[in-house]
Amino acid sequence: MIEVDRLVKTYGRIRAVDDVTFSVPEGRVVALLGPNGAGKSTTIKAITGLLRPSSGSVRVGGFDLERAPLEAKALLGYVPDRPYLYQKLTGRELLRFLGRLRRVGDAERKAETWLAHFGLERSANELIETYSHGMRQKLTFAAALLHDPQALVIDEPMVGLDPRAAHDVRQLMRKAAEAGAAVLLTTHSMDVAEAVADSVLLLDRGRVRAMGTMAELRERVGSRDASLEAIFLQLTDEAVAEPARGRGEGEAA
Amino acid sequence: MRLRGAVNGLRRSPVRLVVGVVLLAGVFDGVLTVTRRGVRFLDGYPGIGTIAGAVEQRSLEALFTVLMLAVAFSVLTGAIATLYGSQDLPFLLSLPVDPVRVFTLKVVETYLNSALLPALFTLPVLVGLGLEQRAPAGYYAIAIFALLALYALPVALGAVAALLLMRVAPAGRAKEVATAASVALAAGLVLGMRALRPERLQHLTPAQFEQALSRFADLHVGWLPSAWGSAAVWGALQGRVPDAALLLALVSLVVLLGVARLAAMAYRAGWFRSLDTQGRQGAVGALPPARWERPLARLGPAGGMVIKDLRLLARDPSQWSQLLVLVALAGVYFISTASLAAEMQSFRDVVGALNLVFLGFLLAGVGIRTAFPLVSLEGEGLWLLRTGPLRARNIVAAKFWGALPPMLLLGGGLGVAVAGRLGVSPVLALATPVAGVCAAVAVTGLGVGLGAAFPRLDAASPTEVPLSLGGLIYMALSLAYAVVTTLLFAYPTYRSLRAPGAFQWDSALGLTLLAAVLAVTLLWTLLPLAFGSARLARLESNVG
Repeated sequence: MIEVDRLVKTYGRIRAVDDVTFSVPEGRVVALLGPNGAGKSTTIKAITGLLRPSSGSVRVGGFDLERAPLEAKALLGYVPDRPYLYQKLTGRELLRFLGRLRRVGDAERKAETWLAHFGLERSANELIETYSHGMRQKLTFAAALLHDPQALVIDEPMVGLDPRAAHDVRQLMRKAAEAGAAVLLTTHSMDVAEAVADSVLLLDRGRVRAMGTMAELRERVGSRDASLEAIFLQLTDEAVAEPARGRGEGEAA
Repeated sequence: MRLRGAVNGLRRSPVRLVVGVVLLAGVFDGVLTVTRRGVRFLDGYPGIGTIAGAVEQRSLEALFTVLMLAVAFSVLTGAIATLYGSQDLPFLLSLPVDPVRVFTLKVVETYLNSALLPALFTLPVLVGLGLEQRAPAGYYAIAIFALLALYALPVALGAVAALLLMRVAPAGRAKEVATAASVALAAGLVLGMRALRPERLQHLTPAQFEQALSRFADLHVGWLPSAWGSAAVWGALQGRVPDAALLLALVSLVVLLGVARLAAMAYRAGWFRSLDTQGRQGAVGALPPARWERPLARLGPAGGMVIKDLRLLARDPSQWSQLLVLVALAGVYFISTASLAAEMQSFRDVVGALNLVFLGFLLAGVGIRTAFPLVSLEGEGLWLLRTGPLRARNIVAAKFWGALPPMLLLGGGLGVAVAGRLGVSPVLALATPVAGVCAAVAVTGLGVGLGAAFPRLDAASPTEVPLSLGGLIYMALSLAYAVVTTLLFAYPTYRSLRAPGAFQWDSALGLTLLAAVLAVTLLWTLLPLAFGSARLARLESNVG
């Protein structure tokens, strides 16, 4: 459903994303992991059309984001890491607006369903500026799900959520995948990734360090019972050591 | 820290720095020239005798009073945002620094934000006065010192008013109430100044004018701080350090430090109810769309965007307050133009022809406050539009159609009203509303297009948005539009003045000229919209 092919994004001389290729099939949850500055958010923004790739391509549901952006974006639901919403609209008005924007049939009923799902029905007529961070995050989820997206892209889903909401969001991501959606999430929480994701993509300094299911990653690091955190630390340590080793070998030569 | 941030910001955009310096130099030079000519005029006015100095001093007092009022009006919202609502306040207060020092810094920041521009505007006036009066070198230091001390008083007053407002305003609504109060006061000031009807001076005989000057020279209100300021300046002109300057400095210092101490005490004691973000309890349960939304909703995504923008406009005082000021300005414009009505038809037509240019200028001024900021007002919420199935041109078009009706109402309405009130000849009676409608379309297209091409998504309020390269280009192009269309209307006006009835709009030439106006309008509308759409489509920003 989401296909990223040789994606490169440069800012001047800096290559924030460097030749990244992966895909998220229907019915699967893929966790995009990496240390700070690895290029996760840049990749996500390229997939959602907020950034233009320097080279490479992104396709959603077979539609190229550059050539057929409307068709591709119609299939996407996006939850950013900072849920900025119009402060002076109420929660219900925001969903109504997005329903109109995306031409969602029966948007009123769907909006009420999602508001109830996230426990926002009592505050839905209040201005968003009065919402807590967690409530905004829940409303952003409701907004992303309003049009039944076939691909869900979620940047740091658990930030600001209370334990109940965090549990619900995990369930929701799994349910969305079981219903056939492709789910791509970035997170710094190894627990969340391990619990929710079918496979993991590890980015470091803009490049793919590793990709695969937990079993495949454990095999790669040579430990059958390694946690995702241990795998993450080992692979990112390797990434740090490699250039240093390269420099050392260069100097020795 | 703040200064370093500002310097870093300017380093990253040197064009903005250069443009700012050039603009500032231009304004400085203009005000200096006008001041020097004004002083020369008064000093050389026949029969003015010994009261020239007194008239100049009263004029300076009047300027000080007006600018102090302007500072007082603008400081209220600024003080709330800087003193009590700024994001770095919790961080600064967590440092091992005396809170009074933190709030002193915040008071200084409020002072710079609110009083710096009026002070910069007053500076060339004082310099011009000094140059014309051959002031000693010490004058300039004392005058600038008095100026800075003078504007500290309204800042302190505004900060105290903000403090009280933070206590009494409904929770989370202090800024809204402050904005509404500031705008109402500012609109009142504009209308009040207009009510003085300065054009009456034109009709005075030389004897009456001298009498008016004499009365004005006697109009001394010594207890007003503006009088202290002018007394300090006049003392310095005569080469002494006047008591008024010392008094002003002492009072300013005491009130600024007092306000900082008061703010620190009140903040730490949790005296401000309005810092709470608790909102109004809305009705519970699903509310259907409002009736007025339904026809717009049928227009699809564009209608949805217009509905959303209207709701945000109605709820955000920083947006609707702009409209209030603009309505006041439009009222002043109409009254001013109408007051020029004369007996002779030819004179009425000359005024009507000038009105074509001024109407364009007025609409350009309105457009930069209304149409230009529209895309920027999406702010960080722009991601909602950009990740949706919309092209950038759909966003820009929706903004254009949303802004057009009020602009058409203003342009067309003023055109019809002014032409009717002036009683211009039939040629101008058609040209004026046509010019108004066309200018409304053009400045809306230009504003929305250039606003989309140069968005400022991180602007704190709509007033900040036009302070950009895009804003400058908009002003230049909108004024150029007014000039070009006026030139197109010039020939029919000229013919009409020379021989009434000699020109008809339904002649071949008339229709050609109307077509040319239409073509220019479309050019000024569509090109910026296309440019803005293309730039917005390529926009890559951390915000939105």
